[in-house]
Amino acid sequence: MITSFFLRALEGRIVAMVAVLLGFAVLVPMSNLLLGPDNPLHVPTYVMSLLGKYLCYALLALALDLVWGYCGILSLGHGAFFSLGGYAMGMYLMRQIGSRGVYGDPILPDFMVFLNWKQLPWFWYGFDMFWFAALMVLVVPGLLAFVFGWFAFRSRVNGVYLSIITQAMTYALLLAFFRNDMGFGGNNGLTDYKDILGFSVQSDGTRSVLFALSAIMLALCLILASAIVRSKFGKVLLGVRDAESRVRFLGFRVENIKLFTFVVSAMMAGIAGALFVPQVGIINPGEFAPANSIEVVIWTAVGGRSTLIGPIIGAVLVNGGKTIFTGVFPEFWLFALGGLFVLVTLFLPKGIVGTVAQALAKRRAAQAAETPTHLNGKPQAAE
Amino acid sequence: MKMSAILLKGRRMYLRPVRILAILLGLILGFATAASSAADDPAALIKALGTANFEQAEAIIADLGKTGDTRIVPALEAFAAGDLYVRKSDSQVFIAKAAGSGFTLIDPVTGASAGEAPKSAITKIKINNSLRRAISSAQGGLTLLSPDKVVRLQAADSVLKSPSAENLELLEAALAKETDRAVKLRMEQARAVSLLSSDRPVDQKRAAIATLQSLGGRDAIGILMTAAPTLDPALKGDLDAAIKKIEGTLALWDAAQNIWYGLSLGSVLLLAAIGLSITFGVMGIINMAHGEMVMLGAYSTFVVQEIIRTKFPGAFDYSLAIALPVAFVVTGAAGLIIERGVIRFLYGRPLETLLATWGVSLVLQQLVRSIFGPTNREVGNPSWMSGSFPLGGMQVTWNRMWIVLFSLTIFLGLLLLMKRSFFGLMMRAVTQNRRMASSMGIRTPWVDAFTFALGSGIAGIAGVALSQIDNVSPNLGQSYIIDSFMVVVFGGVGNLWGTLVGALTLGVLNKFLEPWVGAVLGKILVLVLIILFIQKRPRGLFALKGRAIEA
Amino acid sequence: MTIKARIGGAMLAAIMSATALQGAFAAEDTIKIGVLHSLSGTMAISETTLKDVMLMLVAEQNKKGGVLGKKLEAVVVDPASNWPLFAEKARELISKDKVAAVFGCWTSSSRKSVLPVFEELNSLLFYPVQYEGEESSRNIIYTGAAPNQQAIPAVDYLMNSEGVQRWVLEGTDYVYPQTTNKILKAYLMSKGVKEADIMINYTPFGFSDWQTEVSKIKSFGSAGKKTAVVSTINGDANVPFYKELGNQGIKAQDIPVVAFSVGEEELAGIDTKPLVGHLAAWNYFQSVDAPVNAEFIKTWHAFTKNDKRVTNDPMEAAYIGFNAWVKAVEAAGTTDTDKVIDSIVGVSVPNLSGGYSTVMPNHHITKPVLIGEIQANGQFDIVQQTPQVVGDEWSDYLPDSKDLISDWRKPMSCGNFNVKTGKCGGKGS
Repeated sequence: MITSFFLRALEGRIVAMVAVLLGFAVLVPMSNLLLGPDNPLHVPTYVMSLLGKYLCYALLALALDLVWGYCGILSLGHGAFFSLGGYAMGMYLMRQIGSRGVYGDPILPDFMVFLNWKQLPWFWYGFDMFWFAALMVLVVPGLLAFVFGWFAFRSRVNGVYLSIITQAMTYALLLAFFRNDMGFGGNNGLTDYKDILGFSVQSDGTRSVLFALSAIMLALCLILASAIVRSKFGKVLLGVRDAESRVRFLGFRVENIKLFTFVVSAMMAGIAGALFVPQVGIINPGEFAPANSIEVVIWTAVGGRSTLIGPIIGAVLVNGGKTIFTGVFPEFWLFALGGLFVLVTLFLPKGIVGTVAQALAKRRAAQAAETPTHLNGKPQAAE
Repeated sequence: MKMSAILLKGRRMYLRPVRILAILLGLILGFATAASSAADDPAALIKALGTANFEQAEAIIADLGKTGDTRIVPALEAFAAGDLYVRKSDSQVFIAKAAGSGFTLIDPVTGASAGEAPKSAITKIKINNSLRRAISSAQGGLTLLSPDKVVRLQAADSVLKSPSAENLELLEAALAKETDRAVKLRMEQARAVSLLSSDRPVDQKRAAIATLQSLGGRDAIGILMTAAPTLDPALKGDLDAAIKKIEGTLALWDAAQNIWYGLSLGSVLLLAAIGLSITFGVMGIINMAHGEMVMLGAYSTFVVQEIIRTKFPGAFDYSLAIALPVAFVVTGAAGLIIERGVIRFLYGRPLETLLATWGVSLVLQQLVRSIFGPTNREVGNPSWMSGSFPLGGMQVTWNRMWIVLFSLTIFLGLLLLMKRSFFGLMMRAVTQNRRMASSMGIRTPWVDAFTFALGSGIAGIAGVALSQIDNVSPNLGQSYIIDSFMVVVFGGVGNLWGTLVGALTLGVLNKFLEPWVGAVLGKILVLVLIILFIQKRPRGLFALKGRAIEA
Repeated sequence: MTIKARIGGAMLAAIMSATALQGAFAAEDTIKIGVLHSLSGTMAISETTLKDVMLMLVAEQNKKGGVLGKKLEAVVVDPASNWPLFAEKARELISKDKVAAVFGCWTSSSRKSVLPVFEELNSLLFYPVQYEGEESSRNIIYTGAAPNQQAIPAVDYLMNSEGVQRWVLEGTDYVYPQTTNKILKAYLMSKGVKEADIMINYTPFGFSDWQTEVSKIKSFGSAGKKTAVVSTINGDANVPFYKELGNQGIKAQDIPVVAFSVGEEELAGIDTKPLVGHLAAWNYFQSVDAPVNAEFIKTWHAFTKNDKRVTNDPMEAAYIGFNAWVKAVEAAGTTDTDKVIDSIVGVSVPNLSGGYSTVMPNHHITKPVLIGEIQANGQFDIVQQTPQVVGDEWSDYLPDSKDLISDWRKPMSCGNFNVKTGKCGGKGS
């Protein structure tokens, strides 16, 4: 049964994307490690970390698409779950530094030493063990999403109100993590990592493994998300998105359905954050900024909402563009980025993937005009 | 080294009678050549300023005060303003005013013109805060007998702030001649302050404490506590009672002050949010470029002021009045362009307006950065918006008061426009039932366009007001956008009254939490409270009533 | 015309074409340096100026013939005030553009974000902003002030020449104010100030409603002892802070405020008339009376084509850093990072206050500390100038760092040498 749950996920586009991701997971590290720097196919380490970063963002956008595209919850606070996952991983990496910090304190991270902290705060316990940190990467964002969703969905907060209070949530967390008294390193955040599971985070080998892991994790989450939306549960989910009250009147517990999806999505975002931190080398409260969460929405919209693969493409394209523009037109790149958002919403309202799929569907429909296939009157691709 | 130590000691014992002795010692040791022969000659003393260091200059100022010669008041004023210069060729000291490329020199004592000098021929005599204090004390003593009432009041004020035994006698002399009641009261208080640090008998001091109690306020506590260590033990009871009494009244006023701070913060929030309550609340557009409209308004103010500064410097006090319509037109036009160019294609898709307007906001920020540069621009406060006035036991700053009044005026104006004008009627008709309105002959696209332009224009005039209290930089808008959304959502989308109550509630709440848990935690708590409140009332404080199951 | 002359002409032509050819080669073969300052986002307000300074310095150096006979080329990128992006851009500059050195960063967060990158890829960063200390990297040259080059002399000045006995340490809640205030508190208490006479208060970034805080300062200041405010308030929050001070009538004669993050550029956005007499401590003010400074200001105005653009302390730090790098590269004869790091210690270059700044073995520099009072025209009047002070990376007033020193000369080559245990590596355990 579980197999069939996942087999159903494997629809054409998803299979293609998974194949591409797995291909990347193998080829990019191989080219980085095996080919010499002079080889034209060689992928330099900095490009690989950059791609790894994009993949983490893509996973975050995928998580958002699950709640926004399929459940109608526009979260403007997904950056919070991402950052919490990142902080959980960052705390593990900080504890791994051990006595190699500048003060050589075996237990306390440097920032605690120079702020005169005498002992480790309770919430740092356990983070010296990888399994515990890995668990927390899922549990902390999941728990926050659960508590937040429990209240919000039960009192039927929805639409714009929900979006704004998710924004309030991430903003409050931003302010809280900026506080040095919180014990998370204030605005400097957590940085200067040395090892992960005994391997140096700076070696090409570790970077390759992290990159491959990001790609594989993204592929797995994509399959999971696809399985969810294509299951019976997924049909109900779409019902919740399009006509919440009708679904409720049919006897479904809408708030539980939403809550489940929200928590799953938050955990995916947490994983994305956890993979992001060792590749980028820093996590700080800036990641909680509401603007970052809005950007995630934009990647998703650019790629195509409710398409699952759209957000991945959108995240990679927008971030790739950002990398290029900030280097090539450092003074004017915001014009390009801002203009892109306006143009995409005006001319590609379904996003890149949605528009392409629509065009394909139209052509197919024209070819088989006599046999209408869409009973609901909507082109399938618009999902 | 020894000399400076003695001088230092002299200054530390600021309030004691021994001070004179210390200064005299300093005089003898420090600049015997320059001043000892002519301790009473103002001209010689002023000349000595030219070569003195800060500590010596302080002693000279005290001596100048003691000469009682009112001719030196302009020189002291010039010194405080940094206009006293020494001529390099003969180390004569002059008051110098910039004139063309050089300076015109004025004799510091006689006030006679002494010709001109190029900038390179003179050096400014440096001044620091201790010197400024000494100057205002000396000046106060010298002008106590001035024929001008206002000057006498100022003099009494400055003596009050820098008590000393010499001033006491001057004060008593002035008091005897004083006829004006207000000035007399202030002189009495100043006398009480100086008396506390003198060697007068206990009874007089007791009376002085009572006078100071009537003065009230933080300053009085400060004065009493300064005097406490040197006071007769017999007076300790009086002193403590007086301090306690003042603190009691202050506590009440502190609460009032806090409410005022809350209201003024609330009115800033109201200003920032009120335009949004139209574009977002009434039209349903999640306008992320709202903050940038506020910023454009602030930059319009800057441009207007810049033109006034260069072309009509006399009209500076009217700059804000001129900036208001300018900002309204500029941002309204920007809003119109955005609506016609982008938003009109997106009606019915509110979340996509979020994306498009976010893009617009990035472009506008960068545009302003490219035109005006990334740094802060100076927007001046007109004189009627500077300073503060006392209201009972609290200080109300003029700019805050005007902003409170201004935001309420805008709110009422908008309310009238919505409820009483034909345009308001059309606006409400279109937002309530677009199709019906359209079939009644209302040109809905133009109503949409002008509603959005109105919302943007109001954000623009909010920017004029905010330019008075905040940075005018390309980031200005970003810092208000989140708060604005919170206010509108908290108050209830689509309801102007909700925005008003929401803004003021959040402002007061914030200001009551701030002294208690600190600014950072206070803000976090407010956000958490908003989140919890929305759970309780999912449509905000003043929800629009309707029968739709899914609004 | 004789044959001789013809031959001479031909030779001259040959020489000329040879030099022209050489010039063409030189244009192709340039030395790249990276400029890593935010041009958008919240920090653009401060950092954009430093980018302009770097471009000016590069242009000036190229006029003098460049470095090692090659022209310099500045590679400008925009890390957009986003700290992970700083790390990404640093990596790009070093790996892709192969820059010889990077000049950049403003906030401590951005420096902390790029530090591992510079150490991993073994490149060189010149950091031009005053900071909290407690760091010394082999790959970073800190040309801004450490706390002992700014905060402590400022407090000394207030204590000695204004007789301040009661202190408000008001800051934005981030690492620089937190650390500086920890150091200052320890220092003040070592000078006999009681704990009750010190009030420490923090506000969030971009804080704009100062009413409550200012009235708190006012009431703390009315306890009968001379009070001063030591402000480590960050950039944007300063304008509303000073406006509120001015409006509530707190004059410098009553409660002076000494700031460590307010320079000419920050004051450009405020009407300074009500603020005359408030203080700032820096290592440079535009009003410094020195020929080298006049020259610098002139070049700056010409470069920006705007004779109203002010100069400030981080600009001087960038100037010193750039010149120190040029000198070290010329001494080493190469831009190779390891050789430059070896040759840069001890390099002495003119600073803009008329003296010389030397790069010390701890990768910090010597500079004088100036205390200035704000004037009505937005400039500072210098009221005190100390002799050269050596930047102290490990504060003597923090219990965990007082035993540490840093010396990047061989054979020690250690950033956290413990003088007690005699070992490299912090407290050692």
